[in-house]
Amino acid sequence: MPNQLVTPEIKNLSPRERKFSRFILFFEDLIKVPVFQCQKCGECILSSTGFTCCQRCPKRLRNGPCGGTGEDGSCEVYSDRKCIWFLIHQRSKWLGRLTLLYDIKRIHNWNLEKTSAWLNIFWKRIDPPVLFLSRKQRQRKIHGSDIQR
Amino acid sequence: MAVTFKDKIESDRFLVCGELGPPQSCKGDVIRKKSVHFKNRVDAVNITDNQTAIVRLSSIASAKILMDQNIEPIIQMTCRDRNRIAIQSDLLGAAALGIRNVLCLTGDHQKFGNHPEARGVFDMDSIQLIATVTGMNKGEFLSGDPIKTKPAFCIGAAANPFAEPLEMRLIRLYKKVMAGAHFIQTQAVFDVEQFIRWMDRVRALGLSEKTAILAGVMPVKSVNALLHMQKEVPGVRISQEYISRLKNASDPKEEGIKIAVEIIQIIRSIKGIRGIHLMPVMWESITPVIIQESGLYQ
Repeated sequence: MPNQLVTPEIKNLSPRERKFSRFILFFEDLIKVPVFQCQKCGECILSSTGFTCCQRCPKRLRNGPCGGTGEDGSCEVYSDRKCIWFLIHQRSKWLGRLTLLYDIKRIHNWNLEKTSAWLNIFWKRIDPPVLFLSRKQRQRKIHGSDIQR
Repeated sequence: MAVTFKDKIESDRFLVCGELGPPQSCKGDVIRKKSVHFKNRVDAVNITDNQTAIVRLSSIASAKILMDQNIEPIIQMTCRDRNRIAIQSDLLGAAALGIRNVLCLTGDHQKFGNHPEARGVFDMDSIQLIATVTGMNKGEFLSGDPIKTKPAFCIGAAANPFAEPLEMRLIRLYKKVMAGAHFIQTQAVFDVEQFIRWMDRVRALGLSEKTAILAGVMPVKSVNALLHMQKEVPGVRISQEYISRLKNASDPKEEGIKIAVEIIQIIRSIKGIRGIHLMPVMWESITPVIIQESGLYQ
């Protein structure tokens, strides 16, 4: 499991590639920052979190909310904000993408911070986004008996 | 300590866990003194890891002191203060000292503590931490390097049946069990009806067979403590009945014990519950009284 748990650093970028990544990142930010309040983690999982950036969470949680969400869905750290995972749950439900929340997300690779997620996907450094879900995937039933020990 | 906590989980006994908060000083005697309340009464004792982000004596060091008193500790490990290097190193250290149980938590945000200006690490979250420990049990670091002498931790996790969004809580519980949690300790139960509803769904998902669920029980001294919890501690739901009962009681301490015992009796009758986790905040001396009153004394 551990190897699947961390996003491996596949290869170091050459100076030219790094320059190209910065160039693409500029355009990526133009879209992702105003629309999703992207935090530029470089390891985008937007598609599996109801198209809501989970890195806006003060604890940067990638696998679901901490135990402190208020009854009205407020964040425990900043009570004037909504818990981002409350929104993710709402939107995932609305979009029929709840089953995607059952997968354990990898531990963030900090070397990818402030790199272009689009290029990282293209270069196969991170998992590709799940853009379309088949009906079977949508209706995936989760049960404890699936858990292998 | 011939019978370990893991053996007890695998047996079908009703388990009782205590909780001990280390002092805000280097006085180890405080832990030795508190250990009297747990000896021969509980199956294991949780040792909090800088709870509510207030600096305290380290969890692993406290566990060592407790082990010398022949009490089995469960150390808490939070992701707030450590990155993946420190977490794995601390776990190896704990295993070398003979600590066998670890409760994996994300940790309270540093803003709630006495160093609100600190940098929160949160390199990984609790679910990823559980998976990391599972990997270490199998003999592999996060990097993929092998561990020559591998630890054998009994892995615990927390669950909150009371915070919104409730469906997300079950998803997280599912992930925690999938990542390898052997036992689950829940947030303090003050709303029994909601807890029963949650357990129904846990059983329906088939999770209670895969992991041992220990329900949290928190005895409170006064109505103010309860109101403070409701106001300040996020994700705690308190039934109005208990507030009014404590408010009208002539002896709130006695009433607090009575309420805790009542909650334990209800919890014991719920199918799929494997035990309780007693967590009186800074009131450890009440643990033996409650165990005695609720007939759990072994």
